Amino acid sequence: MSLKLPLRELRRRPTRFLVATVVLAFLSTLLLFLGGLLDGLYLGSTGAIRAQDADVIVYSSTARDSFLRSRITADVRSEVDAVDGVDAVGGLGFVLLGADVPGEADPADVAIAGYELAPKGVPEVSSLYDGQGVADRRLEDQGVGVGDTLLIGPAKTEVTVVGWVEDTAYLQQGTIWVNLATWRQVQNANRPDAAVADDVVQALVVRGSGDLAAAIDTATGGATSTLTVEEAVLALPGVEQQNSTFNQIIYSTLVVVLAVVGLFFSLLTLERLGLYGVLKAVGASSGRLFAGVVLQAVVVTIVAFVAGSALAMAAAAALPSGVPLQLEPSRFVFTFTALLVASVLGSAISLRKVLRVDPAAAIGTSS
Amino acid sequence: MFLAWHEMRRSKLRFGLLTGAVGLLVFLILFQQALLGGLITQFIGAVRNQSADVLVFNDQARKNIEGSIILPEQAAAVAAVEGVAVASPLGESTFTVQADGSETDAVVFGYVLGGPGAPTTLSAGRLPTADGEAVASEKDEADGFGIGDTVTVLGPGGTLDLTVVGVARDLNYSVSPTMFTSFDTFAAAKRVRNGLAEGTAVLPSVLAVQVADGADAEAVVERIAAAVGGVEPLTRQQAVDGSPGVSSVRTSFGVILGLFYLVVPLVTGLFFLIVTFQKASALTLLRAIGARARTLVVALLVQVVLVMALGSLVAFGLYAGALQGVKNLGVRVEVMPVVVTSLVVLALALVTSLVAVRRVLRIDPLDATTGAGVHL
Repeated sequence: MSLKLPLRELRRRPTRFLVATVVLAFLSTLLLFLGGLLDGLYLGSTGAIRAQDADVIVYSSTARDSFLRSRITADVRSEVDAVDGVDAVGGLGFVLLGADVPGEADPADVAIAGYELAPKGVPEVSSLYDGQGVADRRLEDQGVGVGDTLLIGPAKTEVTVVGWVEDTAYLQQGTIWVNLATWRQVQNANRPDAAVADDVVQALVVRGSGDLAAAIDTATGGATSTLTVEEAVLALPGVEQQNSTFNQIIYSTLVVVLAVVGLFFSLLTLERLGLYGVLKAVGASSGRLFAGVVLQAVVVTIVAFVAGSALAMAAAAALPSGVPLQLEPSRFVFTFTALLVASVLGSAISLRKVLRVDPAAAIGTSS
Repeated sequence: MFLAWHEMRRSKLRFGLLTGAVGLLVFLILFQQALLGGLITQFIGAVRNQSADVLVFNDQARKNIEGSIILPEQAAAVAAVEGVAVASPLGESTFTVQADGSETDAVVFGYVLGGPGAPTTLSAGRLPTADGEAVASEKDEADGFGIGDTVTVLGPGGTLDLTVVGVARDLNYSVSPTMFTSFDTFAAAKRVRNGLAEGTAVLPSVLAVQVADGADAEAVVERIAAAVGGVEPLTRQQAVDGSPGVSSVRTSFGVILGLFYLVVPLVTGLFFLIVTFQKASALTLLRAIGARARTLVVALLVQVVLVMALGSLVAFGLYAGALQGVKNLGVRVEVMPVVVTSLVVLALALVTSLVAVRRVLRIDPLDATTGAGVHL
């Protein structure tokens, strides 16, 4: 038996596979939707930290790795500067505020980020004048354009957007990258009870070599808590919990896919046992027969994945913009691969039945 | 019943797979429902369970209490609006604190003692009557936030001790331990956190408004919006529903749960339809020797109920286990949601199984005499 037979069955009797395809399509949509939400939450919260072109980030020790609560004074900074292996040190600060956008009725959610060492994709800070900033592209959806002067916070501090950067959002807000003087001006005018002095920043980004984190925390006598960039990403509120909860749901759903495919093809195999007996009697090997089952499972999965992806994209377009759904190409690849693996494993449940078919049983049976 | 049970016992693998799949799907529905409820309560329980009828935000804050700040002139203007009995400051911020010997994050709300903004779900102890006293979220009682415990705010400005004098249910904010204290204590804590000099003014995050006797909160909201610029007044419920994240979390989970509710009956319906096709010949024979169609339909429906019941039991076990992993959301294992969800899913599965029932009813006993069965 060649593998043409299972394909021909799929072509001639598509309705036999229809319900399984529909169920798998819904499960594909579910997996893409769950993954898209996880990606949207993760990318939208962590962009500004992931973009840091640095080895470690230094917080004050009482801040519990929160930028908003961290304060690094000039004294601590000079101690960090003097640590062996440190090549470059830059200040960093964030403030989350609303901003009036010219021509828009609703204010935009922005994160004003003051920096010294340029993150990836962000221009050197020397190219920005006071009161100027480059904005994350996601602010375009809220009506922001290059050349717009935004009025930031209750104090209506002016910041003019002079360019775009990609994938640098912070805690679901579009970041506007400004120099430290502008950040302090915005922070002190709008958050007078969290004002910072001219030589104070929230955190330091450090480039260098060796075991920087331990060396820095030792040099400052425990006044700092230093994390790698990856650790700083996971230290953002909720990021780690979100990842683990969503991944648990995604993997449980994949087990359901495995069970559904296993169930469907074991039923189909049961139905065909007589036919398999005949095919074996005329020389088809168990391997061939089983390959046919797997091939059908793969084709059903591919069709279901395409339909499920279309459904997920339609749902994403129909959802309100407040839902942080982000369908990344990598998520499609992951979901497709995971579905294929689950369906091949699921169809393997039928393997035992196929192997046990006795060609001799074909003699004298009607089907 | 006999027929249904015996068939299930003989075909353990396929019924086991179906029960497993149903169990996992029902578990995922239950788990996500619990997660949704827990997340919403943990995110905004403190706003829902405080006494102010109306909360006045800065209009730049987009209903986010963390991003809001009320200027003195705005506070004075709100207090003068008709229907406002009391308008007092309410502050909110996240702090690094030491509780039970370890450092953790805690949200502190500061309200004017005796005024609006007090916790309304006190379960033990009392409300604060002096500076330095606080009511804490009941969920965090065992982690150093119990009555009599001292919680210390840490920061570049030194330390500040708060003594817990009461605990209240569902009082968390931003999934963190939460305390309600006097506004002056809150301001002192903020100065400690930000290393500010003694006496530096701390502005309220929002205004907590108590409406005058007989006044309608929604009407007062409209009057404040019309009379005072730069603010966004919201009733307590509006503040809860409009809180950033809550509506998007509801929409996202709504879509996911909807898809799960769709998949469970589809899987069950598909299974029983195929099984019915497979045993069409046997069913035809049974009909030919006198079995009534009703008996066969009942056997089918009994199998649906048994599979769904066993699946729900599996789901309950997984659900009870999984909730141990998200204890920080304060989600409790409750039987009622499991029963309701299982019944809804069972009803949906019975509906989709009607396709299989229809097939059974269409079996013609005469076919047995010709050797013809029912084929897919």
